Amino acid sequence: MIKLPKLLPIFAMIVLFPISAEAKETYIPILVPITGFLSLEGTAQRNGAIQALDEASSSLKIKYEVSDTSTSPEIAVTALQRALSRGKPMAIAAPIFGTQMLAMLPIAKRAGVPLITVSGTAKLTELDNPFIFRFFPGDAVVKVAHARYVTEVLRAKRPALLYQTTAYGQSGYSHLSKALRKAGAPLVFEEALAPSVKDMLPALTKLRASKPDVILLHLHSTPTALVIRQARNSGIELPIVAGSAMHQPSTAKLLKNHQLRGVCAETAASPISENHPKLIQFTTEYKKRFQTLPDAFALAQYDGMNMVISALKSGAKTAMDIRNWLATNTFNGLAMKYKSDGKGNMGHDATIVCYDGTTKTPKITKKYLNIDGTFN
Amino acid sequence: MSSLYSRDFIVTLIIVLIPLCLALNADSYGQRIMTLSGIYAIAAMGYHLIFGRLGALSLAQGCFFGLGAYSAGLIGVHFELSFLTCLLFAVIFTALVALIIALPVLRLESHYFALATLGIAQVALLIAINWTEVTGGANGTYGIPQLDLFGMELSSSNHVLIFVWFILVIIVSLTFWIMRTPFNYQVTLLKDTPEVAASSGIDIGRWRLTFFIMSAIFGATAGALQAYTIGVVSPATLEFQVMVSILAMTVIGGKNHPAGAVIGAILLTHLPEWFRFLETHYLIAYGVALLCTIIITPSGIFGLFEKFIIKNPAYDLKILPSKENKSVSDASSTLLEIQGLSKTYGGIKALKNLNMTLQSYQIVGLVGPNGSGKSTLINIISGLQRQDEGTIKLDGSFIENTPSYKRSNRGIARTYQTSLRSSGLDVYQAILACSTNQHNLKHRDNQTHAILTNSRLTSKTGSMVGDLSAADARELDLCMALATEPKILLLDEPAAGLSSAEQQFLSTKIRQLAQSGISILIVDHSMDFLLPVVDRLICLDQGSVVAEGTPAEVLADPKALKLYFGNSRV
Repeated sequence: MIKLPKLLPIFAMIVLFPISAEAKETYIPILVPITGFLSLEGTAQRNGAIQALDEASSSLKIKYEVSDTSTSPEIAVTALQRALSRGKPMAIAAPIFGTQMLAMLPIAKRAGVPLITVSGTAKLTELDNPFIFRFFPGDAVVKVAHARYVTEVLRAKRPALLYQTTAYGQSGYSHLSKALRKAGAPLVFEEALAPSVKDMLPALTKLRASKPDVILLHLHSTPTALVIRQARNSGIELPIVAGSAMHQPSTAKLLKNHQLRGVCAETAASPISENHPKLIQFTTEYKKRFQTLPDAFALAQYDGMNMVISALKSGAKTAMDIRNWLATNTFNGLAMKYKSDGKGNMGHDATIVCYDGTTKTPKITKKYLNIDGTFN
Repeated sequence: MSSLYSRDFIVTLIIVLIPLCLALNADSYGQRIMTLSGIYAIAAMGYHLIFGRLGALSLAQGCFFGLGAYSAGLIGVHFELSFLTCLLFAVIFTALVALIIALPVLRLESHYFALATLGIAQVALLIAINWTEVTGGANGTYGIPQLDLFGMELSSSNHVLIFVWFILVIIVSLTFWIMRTPFNYQVTLLKDTPEVAASSGIDIGRWRLTFFIMSAIFGATAGALQAYTIGVVSPATLEFQVMVSILAMTVIGGKNHPAGAVIGAILLTHLPEWFRFLETHYLIAYGVALLCTIIITPSGIFGLFEKFIIKNPAYDLKILPSKENKSVSDASSTLLEIQGLSKTYGGIKALKNLNMTLQSYQIVGLVGPNGSGKSTLINIISGLQRQDEGTIKLDGSFIENTPSYKRSNRGIARTYQTSLRSSGLDVYQAILACSTNQHNLKHRDNQTHAILTNSRLTSKTGSMVGDLSAADARELDLCMALATEPKILLLDEPAAGLSSAEQQFLSTKIRQLAQSGISILIVDHSMDFLLPVVDRLICLDQGSVVAEGTPAEVLADPKALKLYFGNSRV
């Protein structure tokens, strides 16, 4: 006769197995702008996140779904509410659009879920919200590198800037103008452009009249390409140092090789320019999977999600565990080494890439490491 | 008539309450979508008024939405006041902005009005982006507190949902109050045939201003609620996309009825969510769904519902004694006196120093070749056109600078050469809409009954005006003019297109009206109709009176004969 106590572990396994199996499934929603003027960046984010989560699926059971946040805070908040009502997210891949992030942060804080983003808007990590983790160096990092390259390498004295009217543009303008003033090369011209502006000649004409020695851009992808094309077509051959949008292969595709001559860009990384075997493997896999080349946003989101996966593998059981792990650990990503500065800024390096006019693949020209001194 | 109004109100309340009750058991995400639906229904309700009811293509509704969001949000963040205080501020601020905008913009017509309102919205967007110190620039303003009510924070999605939809019920009730009978019919008349509305005593300017301000107030209320439910206000609230969404909600739901705004808002906030599983392709599905809805239901979803489900009740015409017409000054007194009237179009003089009078109880015929100034004279007397020189006295008071609707209120009514028909009203409603001199609905109803029982339209009271034959439309024109209780009736070619029997009916009616004290001026080319009915005949040529007197005297005048009748005898 089999005694009851001996059967207990078997009963326990039968009863608990479905629950424990269910509990093992980790829910990580991907909420990014895949339509609207940030669709290129948002799609890169989505692809990077999916690649990381799919690669982890051999060892972890991860459920993810993609929701478009478009370009309004309202849609982003709705997408977040939807994700929160569908399960208990352990972390959320969150949009690159700063205004959307500002709306999502208080809700994420109330829900206790970390947001993994690549948004460069400086304000996000200045609000003492412990649930934001930014895996792309913020403007406080990349704009310093931007200004340093312009003033130290190009030795420019009269920079002129075109920036976007969006949160991204205003944040970049604020940091870049400050860094340039500090470096002794204040802006001789500045103009904000709405993302919908297609004719850049009026702005370029005014810019040329200010007699600059370098053109700085802090624009989204399509406006960046439009400005460069129209500048080169109207005979403006000044060096151009653009924002991170210019490092994106999708932006370079919009221009001819000769138009790219003398064009540089600040970025966190440029995966297609790197020779490291792991980065080559990432790029090959990405291209195979999504039929497009990866950019720094895809790589940063990939690194961010991999840091979340590392936290899970290290035993994180709840969203709060993951938050705590992200806040206290250092992670060697493909693009750079990540560590929180205490505010959620994880990336601290910046790269300058330049096009030589013969190919659409930029070359890494300069790397600025640990700009804000987090690793000191 | 008020039963129709009550029925519509109850139908709308049911349409509001059913989804609300269903949403009360939904999860927080479902409740959030319904909360957004309620917010957009409020904005669309405002747009229903200005665009749906009044037909003015305002593109400022998104701007009012954004102004409400910004003003409530900024006050909430910086002064930590309760939501209701912030809402009140937002509503007053936006209404004042709308009032300032209205002064120059409301004078513009159709597409100029649309462009002007669009321009205003763009200016507001630029200010929001560039006035960084106040608005927070492109980042917007964040940290807007949660909704609260009398000091209690509405933290649960259930409470927020109920609060927003309670405000929606208030807005719906307010909309119905504004559009109570007979104002709903007057506004329809104004939208379809503004000239008829003006000459029926309806103050077009007042309605346009009221609806523009109300649309701003509703838009601001929706914007304030949106800012407080999201916690952030950014330039996105002022972008054209918001305006397009509100417009689409109003049109797809059914722009002619408040329920349409609610249905449209619910549908358009839910559609993208239903298609969200399609990821990047959801916008295509969304667009196709909207296109299909517009093709299948061009008058909106509620329009379809109204067409197949809701039937208008037949009117039960009680035979009421004809009401005594309003008292005239005294027997055979001079009602209208025109002196030195001149009007020039470019280089052409339509009227030249014209003098004439109209007596009570008198029927005067106005004849003359085409272009002699007959219609111009009627247009100037009724106030639709302004004279260059001259004076017009009604009952001893000068009215040449009085707007058309006020002249109607003072007793001048008219019909038009070409019948101008409001397609959105039935016969009864069209007459009721013109009873602008009655302030009591019961009196208006009684008067409409009385006019209809003395007309040829007794069997067609429920027919839509657009479906009437030409002869019936002329009869309706006369009924509508009589509903204003005129002292002077100006009839522009009233017998055109009528059969002999119909002309006979009209002649009899005109005589009866004159016997009741109304002074009547008739322009008509049919001498067989005109000559037997008029007491006096005035012959015009090139804007001047060439002959005047009894029909026999004018027919004997060689100038009149030559100019108008040729050399043959009539």
